[in-house]
Amino acid sequence: MAKKDDILKSFLTHELLESKYSLKKEELPKSVREALNSEEPIIKAIALIVEGLDGTSPVTDSVLRNQVTQFLNEAL
Amino acid sequence: MIIRKIQIDNYLCYYDTNTFELSEGLNIILGENGEGKTKFFESIDWLFNGENRQLDTLVSAKKLNETEIGDSFRVRVSLTAEQYGEKSIITKSFLVKKENINECSTSSYMVEGISENNSGERIQVDGQVLLDRIFPFQIRKYSMFKGEAELNIFESENALENLINLFSEAKHYDKYSEKGAFLRSKAENAVEDSSKSDKKNEVLYKRLETDILQLEHKKHTFKIHLNSTEDEIKKIEENLQDAERHVNNADALETINTRIRNKENQISNLFAKIDENYTTSLFDENWILVNFESFQKEFAEKVSKHSKARRELQSAFDKQKGVIEGEKKAKAELLNNAIPLPNNIPSKAIMEEMLNEQICKVCNREAKNGSEAYEFMMRRLKTYLESQAAEDSKPEKDEPLFKYDYTNRLDNLSISHEDNLKNLRLVRTKIKDLFEFNDDRKKDIEELNEQLEKEKTEREKILGNSSIAEEKLSDVLKNYNAWQKDLKNRNQDQVDYQTNLKNINSDLKAKKEEKDKIDTNSANLFLIKTRNILRDIETIFIETKEKKFDEFIEKLQTKSNNFFQAINIDAFTGTIIITRKTKGSRTTVEVELQEDGRTFYKPNQSLLTSMHISILFAISELASETKEENFPMIFDAPTSSFGENKTSQFLNLIFETENQKILLIKDFLYTDQTTKTLSIKKEFEAVRRNKAFWVKLERPFDQNNLKTINSQVITL
Repeated sequence: MAKKDDILKSFLTHELLESKYSLKKEELPKSVREALNSEEPIIKAIALIVEGLDGTSPVTDSVLRNQVTQFLNEAL
Repeated sequence: MIIRKIQIDNYLCYYDTNTFELSEGLNIILGENGEGKTKFFESIDWLFNGENRQLDTLVSAKKLNETEIGDSFRVRVSLTAEQYGEKSIITKSFLVKKENINECSTSSYMVEGISENNSGERIQVDGQVLLDRIFPFQIRKYSMFKGEAELNIFESENALENLINLFSEAKHYDKYSEKGAFLRSKAENAVEDSSKSDKKNEVLYKRLETDILQLEHKKHTFKIHLNSTEDEIKKIEENLQDAERHVNNADALETINTRIRNKENQISNLFAKIDENYTTSLFDENWILVNFESFQKEFAEKVSKHSKARRELQSAFDKQKGVIEGEKKAKAELLNNAIPLPNNIPSKAIMEEMLNEQICKVCNREAKNGSEAYEFMMRRLKTYLESQAAEDSKPEKDEPLFKYDYTNRLDNLSISHEDNLKNLRLVRTKIKDLFEFNDDRKKDIEELNEQLEKEKTEREKILGNSSIAEEKLSDVLKNYNAWQKDLKNRNQDQVDYQTNLKNINSDLKAKKEEKDKIDTNSANLFLIKTRNILRDIETIFIETKEKKFDEFIEKLQTKSNNFFQAINIDAFTGTIIITRKTKGSRTTVEVELQEDGRTFYKPNQSLLTSMHISILFAISELASETKEENFPMIFDAPTSSFGENKTSQFLNLIFETENQKILLIKDFLYTDQTTKTLSIKKEFEAVRRNKAFWVKLERPFDQNNLKTINSQVITL
């Protein structure tokens, strides 16, 4: 498993996702690639950040901000 | 990575070529003081970290002495290592030219590297790059230790932080908490800008922003105070423990200190129980009404008299005017022209209750449905209900006798006071009880204070029986009592700061919620939703990082304690406690030795050394796990305070550990006092090891003449 997938997994096992967002552990994506296609905004946003920071081509702060904020503003 | 060979040429006491063919596992190098152990350690340290200056101070005097003027030779330290089946040779050397008797010049050093792959093919590479590749600088820092003092790597605040960055997953999460905060703050700004464009709440919003900022500032200040108070408490506890070490009867002192602490706690608990807010109670607890009953009696009589007079007037008025002929007249007849009771007596609720239960509770008789009594009650209830409705709905044709029904209100007031009299009668007892309770507690406190004084005198006696010279004793006593007092005060400060922080946090929460409320009403919904998700993401990032950090610390603590118990088998150890602390924006790690939650600030050197070594071994084990690679550890005289027995146990323990260890020790050597010959004790045979060497000076030698000094390496 790639490092970024490990990191994503450790974020997705946080209890907030189950308690506040009612996301079941068994339904959570296993990889960043899978999470980027998730329909859950919070999961896709986390995946965007992980890909931005530990993906093949890390991005700058402003690019990351644009990607994440734009996605959330449109998705919510 | 395994060091297979160390070769030292003409480096100080190592004249000519000296080779240590090392093994995996435990390598022990024995040597008396001044016979070459430390020079071996320093030669490796020079290979790893040495600088290009004063190289002439590293030259073997014996070699220089034997070299002809104008001739040259090399000083060289070379390391052969094996990693993943590949061999690496790193050599650091410089050329020495003898210029005159006892004088030489040196070249700059050079670091050469040779990499040999599985098939035996050799490639010349940059020595420094090769070294850093096979044995990274950050790991080397935690691999070589000279003497017992150096083992305490935790004196530097950053040491464990560095370790965590090296070996823990937590380091990967640093950037996430940073970026999480960055994204959240940008989203907060967007919401704030959107909210501010709504001028309706401008003033309130600005005030909330200022309040939040001030509270954050206050919180930060209190956190600093709390941290420094905690540091002060530690310092005072350390001082106290230090003073206690001089006391002969330490157990008794500890017992008496516990008793004093208990007494002080009891006293402060009793103080907390004493409630002398008498003035407040006058109003809050209605104490002021303690003598109200006689006034109420007079008031009730007057109201009753007044009510009767009013009803008399009303009755006369009704009869005279004949306005309400039927019912009122009938009622008057029924009552034999007596003055009727007010309509609301008994009350509506009581009437309904009596009708439901078919009992007249006024005369305590049955009033079955259909009976005269039942019908009477029903009529009375109806009269009351009509009297209530009439005021609003039925327009008065004639002026009533009384426009307002103040009498009824007075009646009700009198009844409610009457009801409350029962409670008021208790006030006197309450006051008496409280005064008695307070007096009793004060007496208890007085008694406890007397006992406390006795305990303190007892403590002074114990402290007096100390090992400190008499002239210093009064100082220690004075300080000891002052420290105890300081400790009590600082503990109280700590509690106060914690309470303040709790209050500030709850105020902050309330203010933020208020601000969020304005945002919800004023800002764009999608901005709020984005901000909320980014807040959650930041929480997830921070908490995941802390979790990883704590997992690492817990692992390190468990491993350290396993080693610690094994090194000190059958002896008292206590427990190594490693804790994460947040100081401002920095996270630091603290290491303590504790027993039952009590910190040992000054354990004896042997215990301290074994604690440090245990943590180092634990780190080394963690390095093996996380890097999937073993690295060697080299210790020069790490166990000077151990004694031979404990050293044997310690060596046998580290023989069991996985990675390569090179230990330089002076134990197990014996000098015959008559022949002055040096030999190895038999006990060394029982020490488990993979390989052993003995470095000893070639005899005879003149200790005042370096030209006669040559350390020989004997493989045992």
